[in-house]
Amino acid sequence: MIGKMKRRDFLKALGLGGTATLVGCDLPTTVTLEEGKEDVVSYLLPEEYAIPGIAVWYASTCTQCTAGCGIHGRVREGRVLKIEGNPEAPINVGKTCQMGQAGLQGHYNPDRITAPMVREGGRLVPTTWEKAQALLSEKVGAKSTLNADRVAWFTGTLSGHQRALVNNHLDAVGSKLHFAHEVVNANVWQAVSRDMLDDPMPRIRLDKAKLILSFGADFLATWVSPVHFAGQYSKFRTAADRGALIQVESKMSMTGGSADLWVAIRPGTEGALALGLANYLVANGVNAAALTAEVRDKIAAYDVQKVAGITGIATAQIERIGKALKARSPSVVLAGASVEGQAQGYESVAAIMLLNVLLGNIGTTIEPSGKFPFPQLEAKSGGTGDLLAFTKAVEQKQLDVVFFYGANPLYSAPAALKLDEQINNIPFKVVLAQFPDETAMHADLVLPVSSYLEDWGTHVAAYQPEQNQMGVQQPLMQKLYGDTRGFGDVVVSLLALRNTAQWGAFTDSYGYLKNVFATMKAGVGAGALSNDEFWNNSLQTGMVKVDAPARKHTLKPVVPNVATNAPDAGFPYYLVPSPRMGLFDGRHANLPWLQESPDQIAKVVWDSWAEIHPSTADKLGIAHGDVIKVESEHGALEVKAYLIKGIHPDAISIPLGQGHTEYGRYAKNRGVNPLKILKRITDAKTGELAMYATRVKVSKTGKQDVIIRLGHSDTQHGRRLARTVSVDVLKRTKGA
Amino acid sequence: MVRWVNKQVAEIAGATAPRALRHVSWIAAVALMWAASSSAGFAQDIVPPVGLHQGEDVVQPIEFPHNIHVEVNKINCMYCHTYARRSKVAGIPPTSKCIGCHKIIATDKPRIQKLTEYWQKGESPKWKKVHDVPDYVHFTHERHLKKLVFDRDYPVEDVKEICAFCHGQLKEMTVAKKVKPLNMGWCVSCHEKNGGPSDCWKCHK
Amino acid sequence: MSLKNVFENWSTYRKGAEEGGYHTYEHRWTMAVNLDLCIGCNACSTACYAENNLAVVGEKRFAKGQAMHWMRIERYWDEEGKDHPENGASFLPMMCQQCGAATCEPVCPVAATYHTPDGLNAQVYNRCIGSRYCSNNCPFRVRYFNFYSYYETSWPEPLNLQLNPDLTVRDKGVMEKCTFCVQRIRVAKDKAKMENRKLQEGEFTTACAQACPTTAIVFGDTMNPDSKVGKLWQQHQVKRHVYKQTKEDPQLRGYRIFEELNVDPSVMYLDRVRDTTI
Repeated sequence: MIGKMKRRDFLKALGLGGTATLVGCDLPTTVTLEEGKEDVVSYLLPEEYAIPGIAVWYASTCTQCTAGCGIHGRVREGRVLKIEGNPEAPINVGKTCQMGQAGLQGHYNPDRITAPMVREGGRLVPTTWEKAQALLSEKVGAKSTLNADRVAWFTGTLSGHQRALVNNHLDAVGSKLHFAHEVVNANVWQAVSRDMLDDPMPRIRLDKAKLILSFGADFLATWVSPVHFAGQYSKFRTAADRGALIQVESKMSMTGGSADLWVAIRPGTEGALALGLANYLVANGVNAAALTAEVRDKIAAYDVQKVAGITGIATAQIERIGKALKARSPSVVLAGASVEGQAQGYESVAAIMLLNVLLGNIGTTIEPSGKFPFPQLEAKSGGTGDLLAFTKAVEQKQLDVVFFYGANPLYSAPAALKLDEQINNIPFKVVLAQFPDETAMHADLVLPVSSYLEDWGTHVAAYQPEQNQMGVQQPLMQKLYGDTRGFGDVVVSLLALRNTAQWGAFTDSYGYLKNVFATMKAGVGAGALSNDEFWNNSLQTGMVKVDAPARKHTLKPVVPNVATNAPDAGFPYYLVPSPRMGLFDGRHANLPWLQESPDQIAKVVWDSWAEIHPSTADKLGIAHGDVIKVESEHGALEVKAYLIKGIHPDAISIPLGQGHTEYGRYAKNRGVNPLKILKRITDAKTGELAMYATRVKVSKTGKQDVIIRLGHSDTQHGRRLARTVSVDVLKRTKGA
Repeated sequence: MVRWVNKQVAEIAGATAPRALRHVSWIAAVALMWAASSSAGFAQDIVPPVGLHQGEDVVQPIEFPHNIHVEVNKINCMYCHTYARRSKVAGIPPTSKCIGCHKIIATDKPRIQKLTEYWQKGESPKWKKVHDVPDYVHFTHERHLKKLVFDRDYPVEDVKEICAFCHGQLKEMTVAKKVKPLNMGWCVSCHEKNGGPSDCWKCHK
Repeated sequence: MSLKNVFENWSTYRKGAEEGGYHTYEHRWTMAVNLDLCIGCNACSTACYAENNLAVVGEKRFAKGQAMHWMRIERYWDEEGKDHPENGASFLPMMCQQCGAATCEPVCPVAATYHTPDGLNAQVYNRCIGSRYCSNNCPFRVRYFNFYSYYETSWPEPLNLQLNPDLTVRDKGVMEKCTFCVQRIRVAKDKAKMENRKLQEGEFTTACAQACPTTAIVFGDTMNPDSKVGKLWQQHQVKRHVYKQTKEDPQLRGYRIFEELNVDPSVMYLDRVRDTTI
């Protein structure tokens, strides 16, 4: 036991013995004064770092979303108790979001999978790692009769050495199939940036902007790197010349709640508005020389009058925005998921990016990103295009073995894709799971993986700030369940099955990681350090700072072939499946803190609701709290109506996150999942699922229910609890 | 109760100067005492808490003889309870510390053989907590030791007499037994006499 | 300070400085919340749950108003007469205001809530008998009562391993509220005392302020001349312990909620700003 313990330098530093160090030791209970009842277990070996009663902070990387924030975990008596941001991390500079805070509840979740499970007689039954390994050896081992390109990995966004390991495994098997699926993504934005600027993820400098015009980009909550942008936003708002935020969207996002001007737009018409604004700017003397003649023609075709008709926004309002754009420079114009998620999503985002070109924002508030020197570690950003490709492969029975990790397609795939029915077209489904989610419960083999607070890893976020970084993730405590294994450990063992000569030497991913760190150090300018120094520094700071040479933006304006959707009399409303900070895309629905945390805009807890504009509700005779039926071509959801003015009258918004049919006690059978009724519409250019293009009809069910939410009043009744002043007052006031 | 309240009010009203003076006088008194006498004892200006408690006999995994360690072998309390001066908890020594001596010493004794068994299994014994304060109490060893020992230049070799304020004379016990009440009135009686804090939130969490 | 203290000195505390009222403190823990930076994201609230062993009460009890969110974000609209909330929402982080002349303190029959020498409204859980007078008397509605033994349901194993040992897990019948993370204050003070030095500005902060992604929340000791929060209060000319705020420049954004009640809150808010010139 002692020898085994020594193999982990870090855990040794924690002073964790082989067993039960978690027991006793100042764990709060409701038991009071007593003698000889509570256990006190001492450390086996003394350790300067671990003094009972004194908390020690260890650096790691958050994996609650894909932004890759640096974190510090507060460890006392071998337990991690609190997560804070790592002040040295360039991405989040010491800050965290609520999902990052709630990571603890994923780690300590009572519904974690604690042992491998195998499907026998149609049911998942517990098994051992030995048996699981034997089964894996039979199916994907060197001696298996495996047909290489019928093996696939299906993951969420994957980066760093986890991605390298998966690639190694695919190489060892001889397959190229790695599907990366992420419901909340910015793939279309990235595609447009790549095509127009030759930069897949340009840096955005909100802190340099005097005006942000955001088309549905919820950059403070769910878009790209929210904590980073919130830090920039803070500088943007406190600058001597306070920056202004205009948010144009169909349903008020959390970011929209902070807007100086919030504009409701008819879903799917954002591209037209962007062109209309460009038209206004050109007409008012903004130099359009940077654009090609073809693009200028396109802009000329969208005069403000026409755009007002398309978007449902008054001409005066459009001119107001145009005027602000012209007057306040530099600005930055962003496009979020609701723009991307249309059949012409790419075109609309391109039209919006053209505004940045026209306004001279490229190079000022939109900067070239750094070229990460280790392309094999860069993020494979997930999207919905891969989900569609995967579904097609499943439908056509092209896959024999699929490894799932960090994605839950059976929850997030729309019913129209028929993945539920066809998933058994894959004869052998291995799910590396922490929780019994929908996908894990359909698996043939479930391998329990460690939580991110127990595991090793590295993370290279797709969005990198001025200082590029690779986040280092290390265990903050001993595994809660001895029978779980790190993700890397599992992949290394899979690799050893194929290629014993190369991989048999590694017993786990720790050995692998330490090994590759030694080979990396020269590439990050740390060649002067010894291997151990470099390794220890990386663990201590929780990251490797990487100097990445800046790319060069080469401008290639794309002609935005913006088109608008034809009306659909049968299904008159647009369904807006809005992601939210908190439950996110549904992955955090099993964390009770986040279930009980009110939605930022609607303030609802523990449930689903459908946001609907009072005028629309009036038309349909719907009252607040009525249970309504929201029906698309592919199914119907029954959900409580929530009357709110922060939505376009043509839109019905049901937030993402609920409606799990599995996923533990806090998530299961709670609310509805709007993803299920989405239509299979794709963005023509990128192949991404057009998540915001589904049309629905709404009807009453006659039932009523109480909406459970924080607070009983939407107004302050003139009491001025939260007071507001106009910016001109602020500008006239000294020291404000 | 009332006295305690008055005292606190006086303190908050700015009556901190006498405390500082008293601090100086401790050092003087302690210095005088040690000059005059070599016997262990505590400075007269510190009044130990009064009150006794009839503790239960606690069955420990190994019947640890405090008396042999403290009285016969003259081992300092803080040699084993090493965290006391650095943390809120005194801590049970790591098993390796026991083994450090007992690799060689008294290896024929059944208790030591039991300890060795634990060590070889790579486990620590599950000791039972004897001196337990309720969860709503914040008690810190390090602050008490600083005030009662280090700030007064009290000889560290005699620290057991200070520990005895709350833990009784361990040199006379085998397995530790609770012999002081450790309840609030008892704590406060000492705080009152010795100028300890009397703000509720100092000790209640 | 205690019940007796409150009885004897109440009039002095309640009097504004204009009439010679005073309070002497060792520290003065204070907050400033910039509503123009608050994006309503709930990071503070969740950080508070993690730090302070707050119970998750579940849907049904939340509906009855029994949620234990010491730090909650209220959201208000001001869109009356308009089709849409054109200026977004108003977010208001609301936590115990640690009043200098708190209305909760004098009504406690057992002095379980009292004023500390640090200027905090302490809540001593083991002393509380659950009369709930304090919460009825609180104008901010920031006191939360344990109607149930939440520890039985809120932390099924191993969620209980996350509990912070620096503070109690409260049981049924006990009132609780934001403490300005007194356990962090306590640890920092002990550390400073051990090192024979004074507390430094920025040495520690509350869980909410530490998490806040936009740094809308600033926490510190206004008796420390270096404190950022003290400078903010000065800059905005918000004075403590006075009947009437007299600002040289009335357009300065600092204000305290329910100033008119003369409870002397320790939290200053800065007006939300909206750019209506667009």
